[in-house]
Amino acid sequence: MTTRARVTLPPKPARNWPLWLGVLGFLTLMTLWSAHGIGFSLFDLICNLARGSRLLEESWPPDFGFIPRLFQPFMETIFIAIIGTVVGGILAIPIAILAARNLTLGPLIWFADRNFMNILRTLPDLFWAMLFASAVGFGPVAGALALSMFTIAVISKLWSESLEAIDMGLPEAIRAVGGTWREMIQFGAMPQGLPHYVSYALYAFELNVRASMVLGLVGAGGIGMILKTQQANFEYERVTMIILAVLIAVLIIEEISEAIRRRLA
Amino acid sequence: MSDRALTPPGQRIGWATWTTFIIAALFLVSLWAIEFSPEIMLKVPFAVAEDLKSYYPPDMAYGWNAVLPAIVESIQIAWIGTIIAAILSLPLALFGARTLFPRVARGVKFVSATARAFPEILLAIYFVPIVGLGPFAGALAIGISSVGMLTKLGAEVVESIDFGPVEAVEASGGSRILALRYAVLPQVLPEIVAHWLFRFELNIRASAVLGVVGAGGVGGVLLNTLSYRHLEKAAAVLLLTIIVVLAIDMISGSIRRRIINS
Repeated sequence: MTTRARVTLPPKPARNWPLWLGVLGFLTLMTLWSAHGIGFSLFDLICNLARGSRLLEESWPPDFGFIPRLFQPFMETIFIAIIGTVVGGILAIPIAILAARNLTLGPLIWFADRNFMNILRTLPDLFWAMLFASAVGFGPVAGALALSMFTIAVISKLWSESLEAIDMGLPEAIRAVGGTWREMIQFGAMPQGLPHYVSYALYAFELNVRASMVLGLVGAGGIGMILKTQQANFEYERVTMIILAVLIAVLIIEEISEAIRRRLA
Repeated sequence: MSDRALTPPGQRIGWATWTTFIIAALFLVSLWAIEFSPEIMLKVPFAVAEDLKSYYPPDMAYGWNAVLPAIVESIQIAWIGTIIAAILSLPLALFGARTLFPRVARGVKFVSATARAFPEILLAIYFVPIVGLGPFAGALAIGISSVGMLTKLGAEVVESIDFGPVEAVEASGGSRILALRYAVLPQVLPEIVAHWLFRFELNIRASAVLGVVGAGGVGGVLLNTLSYRHLEKAAAVLLLTIIVVLAIDMISGSIRRRIINS
């Protein structure tokens, strides 16, 4: 008992110091440069907290009397989001399939489609809203078209990635027994990919309800338009009410889509 | 008999048909509600094509002089926002893990769900009057709204760890804190850092929109050029934004893959 077993510690793994210092140095420099560039200062933040608390006081309590006037733009937001999700969701199907490396029709199509998808994803929804607004005028139709483009980008990107991860046994079997490409997609890939698709479509719907706030800020219909006027008039009690309404809507949609997703899994 | 054996049972078809039917009905109601008409739709492709013509050629002189600084500002906003979110979300992610802190986790998860419900743009609306118009407000908005998502993803990573090392540290007399430092962090850090990078990519996109409410970055430039219909300048904004965003995506994506695989 008294003799103690010699414990030898395993040697510490050697650290790659140049790499560590390089990474740390880069992070520090980047942070300092950015902080300087945007005028970050804790001092300002703390000094202005008083202003912040005054603002919060002004925005509380929410102006519940504003609810009746909120109803119409709120429904418009939901309508825009539904149209955007349905149109974008349908158009995203071929784009996603052709962008999946294992299902696509050929390397050239794959390459073109993938780049198309990436560029689509990078164009801000603001641009789409303005583009369609100049075609059909400012209003909900422009908003719905803009959200459709945005939805294509979201769903096709996510879904093509999960299509690439499906089990290829079934699609290959269909090809091997002489099935056409369409039959391979329909009977081999879709049964595996559909649950993901539904889940991404629901996610896109959530995003669209939120995005319609941004679109409204530039005049493309929905609740963002009313948000903008109230903000410009410093009616912060009403701004709070609008935000509260959107939050509740988003949370409800999230709950519903979570329930649907659980049933699919 | 043999026929029936060949067709799989179709219980789900009824459900799927109903869903399709309901979605189609909602879609039509929505079209009617926003006064959508087929004539408009026929007009759109031509009008858009006509409009797109005036985007060419991009005004690159404007691009180099005015757009590039704004894009740099957007990157800086996204970076500071991500740093703020990373610093705040790391402890929250640990406390939000059900397996480590069952009592606190529920509260932390609730807070992160609330934070996630606020889009950046709304937070920016509140931060602009507090710290003034400009990129600082944007960085704060992005930081706060990223905390929610990073906390949630981080907590999920922590919940999925191997509990052996934690028990080993505690069995040999180590405290909870030591267990976090030597058993939890080494397991979760690579994945959490990968999430940070991913969020940075998302934040770059988000910071390109914040300019709409005056929170700095390239969004304001884009909105101005589009609303005054300086479309050649707008084309330069879009072109440079796309190139920079895709380049950052590629770099950050390859770093992420490396972190996860090593």
